Amino acid sequence: MFEDEVMLDKELSDFTANNKQNLGLISLHAPLISNLDVWVNIALIKQYHENLSKKTAKGLALHYLQRYRMEYIANKRNYALTHKERFIVMLLRAAMVKDALIVLDRPFMIIPDVQDDRFIYDALQLINDSFKECLIFDYTWFKDRYGIINAEKN
Amino acid sequence: MTELIERIGKASMDTTATFRDIIAFAFTILARMFQKKTYSSAMKMVLVNQIYFTSVQILPLFTAISIIFGSLLIGIVFQIIKNMGLAEYLGRILMGLVVTELSPFVTVLLIALRSSSAINAEIAVMKVNQELRTLDTFNIDVIDYLFIPRVINGIISVVLLSALFSILALTSGMLFSKVIFGMSIDVYTNVLLNSADFYDIVISLIKCCTFGLFITLIPIRSGLHASDDLTSIPVAVLHGMVDVFIAIVLIEVLSLILISI
Repeated sequence: MFEDEVMLDKELSDFTANNKQNLGLISLHAPLISNLDVWVNIALIKQYHENLSKKTAKGLALHYLQRYRMEYIANKRNYALTHKERFIVMLLRAAMVKDALIVLDRPFMIIPDVQDDRFIYDALQLINDSFKECLIFDYTWFKDRYGIINAEKN
Repeated sequence: MTELIERIGKASMDTTATFRDIIAFAFTILARMFQKKTYSSAMKMVLVNQIYFTSVQILPLFTAISIIFGSLLIGIVFQIIKNMGLAEYLGRILMGLVVTELSPFVTVLLIALRSSSAINAEIAVMKVNQELRTLDTFNIDVIDYLFIPRVINGIISVVLLSALFSILALTSGMLFSKVIFGMSIDVYTNVLLNSADFYDIVISLIKCCTFGLFITLIPIRSGLHASDDLTSIPVAVLHGMVDVFIAIVLIEVLSLILISI
C-alpha cells in the first residue's frame, strides 16, 4: 500500500524490472492489444514463448474463459468488453506466463464498479493452479476495500 | 540570406539523418528475418493475417484495375508502335514497359495507399495506447512479432501482385495484338517469350522486393515516432506517407539507372 502515485510508480517500476522474466502484469499501463480478439490476447503469451500451435493455444484460452463462464467473449475486442470482463482477460493473459508472478497494479482503477476485493479474490481462486504468486500494488486509502485494518507497504 | 542557407543546411542534415535511420532500421529487420527464432507460432499467425489483408482482400479491386488500366495502356502503346513502324520491337517494348516498369509501379502505389497508411496508423496507435510497452512487459519482441510479419508481407504482396498485373496486362495485349496488328495468339505468345530477358525479370523481382521492403518499413518507423499524444498519430501518418512516396520515386530512379548500365 502506498501513500502517493509517485512512490507507487517507482516501486512498481523497480519491481517489474527485477522480475521481468516471469512477470504477469495487470495494469491500465499494460492494456490489451486493441486489434486482437480476446482469445488471441490470452493465447499470445503461450504462442510466442512456448510456440504452441494456434489450435492448441486457442483451446487453452477457451478452457480458461470457460472457468469464468465467459467463453462468449472469446471473439470480442477490447472496446466491447465490460470492466469485469476486461479484468478477467488481463488476469488470464498474465496467468499464461510460465511460473507467473501476477502483479495487480491498482485493480480498482481497472474495475471501478467493484466495491471490495471479493471479485478479485474469487477471480484469482478460479485459476490458482496457473500462477505462483500474486502481489497487489495499491493506495493506502483503498485499504478498507481489501479489509486491511492497518495498512502496510506492499 | 544567411537564414535561408541555415534552413537549407538544417533540412539537408535532417534528411540525411532520416535516410541513415531508415537504412539502419532496414538492416536490423533484414538481419532478424534470416534468424530461425523469429518464426514463432504467433508470428506466423500475424504473417498469414497480414498477407490476407494486403493481398487477398484487394484482389477484386486489383484485378479490375489491372485489366482496365493494363488494357488501356497496352492499346495506346500498340497504336503508337504501329504508327511509328516499330512492330518488330513489340515484344521488347512490352516486356520492358509492362514487366519491368508498369507492374511494380502500379502495384506499389496501390499497396502503399492502402496498406502502408494502415500500418503507419496501426503502429502509431499502438505506441500512443502503450500497447507496444505491453508487449515488451510480457517479453514479446515487437520486431519479431509486429514488424517482421508486416515487412515480409509487403515483399510477398508486391512481388505476387506485380506478377499478377503483368500477366493480366500482357494477356489483354493478346486482344489488341489481334485487332491492331492482326497477330494470332501463337505469334503474340512467341513474340513475348522470345523477348523475355532473364535480366528484366531479375531487375523486376529486385525492384518489387525493394519496394515491398520500404513501403512497410518506413510506415513502421514513422509510427514508432508518435509521441504519447493522440494528435501525434495523424502527424506520424502524414510524415510516413510522404517518406514512402519519396522512397518509391528514389527506388524507381535507381532501377532506371541500373537498367541503363
